[in-house]
Amino acid sequence: MELLIEAIGFGLAAGAVIALGAVGFSLQFGISNILNITYGSLMTLAAYIGLFLIDRGVNPWATLAIAGVIVGLVSVGFQRWLLAPLARRGTRPFAIVIVTVSAGVILQYVILAVAGPETQSYGDQGGQTFHLLGITLAASQVAIVVLAVVLMLALHLLLTQTTLGRAMRATSSNRILAQSCGIDTDRMSDVAWLLSGWLCGATGVALAITTAGFDFSIGQVFLIPMIAAAVLGGVGQPYGAMVGGLAVGLASELAAAYSNPAYREVVAFAILIAILLIRPRGLFGAAWATRRLMA
Amino acid sequence: MGTRRSRIGTLLALGVAFVVAACGGGGGSTVPTQTGPLSLGVIAPFTGPAAQFGKLLSAPCVAATDLINQAGGIMSHQISCVSIDDTGDAADAVPNVTRAIATTSNFDMAIGLESNTAATTVPLVNGAKIPFFTTNGLTQFNKNTLQYYYRMTPGDDANGAAFADWAVKQGFKNVAIVFQNNIGSEGNLPGLTSAMPKLGGKIAIQLTIPADSASYSAEVARVIQTKPDALIWSADPQTTATFMSNYKQLNNGVLPTMVTATDSLTPDFFKAVTKVVGINYVTNNIFLVGSYFDQTTPAFNTYKAALLANSKTHDIAPVLSTVGPPAGAYDGINIMALAMIMAKTTVGSAYNADILKVVQPSAGAVVVGNYADGMKALAAGKTIQYVGVLGQPIFDASHNSGGQFSASKFNADGSATQVGTMPGPEVLQLLG
Repeated sequence: MELLIEAIGFGLAAGAVIALGAVGFSLQFGISNILNITYGSLMTLAAYIGLFLIDRGVNPWATLAIAGVIVGLVSVGFQRWLLAPLARRGTRPFAIVIVTVSAGVILQYVILAVAGPETQSYGDQGGQTFHLLGITLAASQVAIVVLAVVLMLALHLLLTQTTLGRAMRATSSNRILAQSCGIDTDRMSDVAWLLSGWLCGATGVALAITTAGFDFSIGQVFLIPMIAAAVLGGVGQPYGAMVGGLAVGLASELAAAYSNPAYREVVAFAILIAILLIRPRGLFGAAWATRRLMA
Repeated sequence: MGTRRSRIGTLLALGVAFVVAACGGGGGSTVPTQTGPLSLGVIAPFTGPAAQFGKLLSAPCVAATDLINQAGGIMSHQISCVSIDDTGDAADAVPNVTRAIATTSNFDMAIGLESNTAATTVPLVNGAKIPFFTTNGLTQFNKNTLQYYYRMTPGDDANGAAFADWAVKQGFKNVAIVFQNNIGSEGNLPGLTSAMPKLGGKIAIQLTIPADSASYSAEVARVIQTKPDALIWSADPQTTATFMSNYKQLNNGVLPTMVTATDSLTPDFFKAVTKVVGINYVTNNIFLVGSYFDQTTPAFNTYKAALLANSKTHDIAPVLSTVGPPAGAYDGINIMALAMIMAKTTVGSAYNADILKVVQPSAGAVVVGNYADGMKALAAGKTIQYVGVLGQPIFDASHNSGGQFSASKFNADGSATQVGTMPGPEVLQLLG
């Protein structure tokens, strides 16, 4: 029982990081309909930007915000100057996915060439340890969980309570109709990629804080659970991605606690497949079909 | 017709002459020759997550070839290191190594072929009749009939037994075993689990963990529940940093002593783990177990000086010079180079038979510890016995030379100091 409660706590902490990344990924897909595999390498870029800043004495949480802004701007440029022109020229969605895969590999190897293959670390950023109801978490993990919750609420308010959010949803739902209503859809795309890029960058730094050690493959390694979380929640559904992230994190930690840890991810993905067999559109599939948040 | 018969006769005569020459007819022998510089393949990961190995295994090649070339080369052939990227993946290694074998000129010797890829790269290089000194520890090669294969480091199972031997010697009788799920790490398990009960020790928990997870908190919680005296550990630096960070967090900052392999004696491991758990723990509570070799011999000093002399290896020389597998690769290059001189040929299939002669003890043999001394002795018509950085190699029928074992501790600069030794027979009897 003690281990079960502990594992739930660990799952929440791991899930919060996955959720952060999955929400950004899902938001990007919801607005632009592009499966952006470069997302993983952009997380890696953020982790190394964080290393550069932390080694120069910048506070880790300020680093997270700064890396988020930089990756957000890179994401906007990537979408505006590479993906959007390809889409305008009629490039098929599958080919665009391959372009994002290729760009991700190129970026990953540029990072390798510049930073080298060595393992890097921000050092021990865990901070004080908290014990509550049998759950043990480091201050950094608590901060990431809180950050994830706050960002999800902020995103919800943005999308549902502001003109900008409504315009983004309109763009996502029907781009041509949105244009005819006077919405600057290109600008909406830029905003969506900036936001999702910021989440991507913040996730990269949060990951590096959590893992304590990372190398040039960190983003690619964690992209898979993030995509899994987005799919589990219902692709294009930021809330779904958050719940999906928590589910993947919990499944992974519970598997590690009660089975052979070597297969912790296998168990998590087996649960994912089982859920998709029962609910093909993901956990939020029904809502997505009838009342799609981004639509 | 007469002209045609004459041509056929000429062709037949030429053919016979060619066959006689090729087979060394008339009782003499014809030594195959090559022109131009020689290539020494460093088959290792140079890209991907294990890319650090490529850098570490290139260093002994740089040191050995510098010394060989400074001594005038091998029968006037200069020699250069050729990096062959096996990517650390057994499947991806095949096309890369196959291409290198087909396209590299005078590819006459190789080193590397580490555990991640040895299952596929060893047969390829052996099939190409290129002698090679491998750094892999796979137990599947403990017994083999591969003609061109040589290994100067112990098998992983023997390493595992040495972990147990050292842990119990330090008084740790209730140990947690946590290994990363890769072929190199898991190869240690059979020897370790066999040896621990024989030494009166107990395995509190045994876990195999995936590499590079975001968290190992659940695994750490399971380990802490068993209250182990020590952690017997094998994993990459990133995994180690994450696991130890989680351990520190969940155990109120208290970390158990770690017994791990000398594979971890790398700047990468030292830097990553020190940043997370601090220099005091790293220098006082981590034992690195692996091949023993005397770090005061002239052979060692020559090796270390060569590493320090080249700008490519200067920075890592203090640490790298104390690690067994790279030292074995350096010795292997010297042994192959001297075998070439003994055989008077640089062609692998021809000089391979002389490799064992280079290290064979015999009455009146001049003991040499580096290439230049060996070359001079051979030129003077003397018999030599190479005793290198790893000491006297004693190859068994499978061309494996295990040697002795030692435990080391990190120094504050990332180099290591040996703190104890374990005789080879003592460790090997714990197996099986």
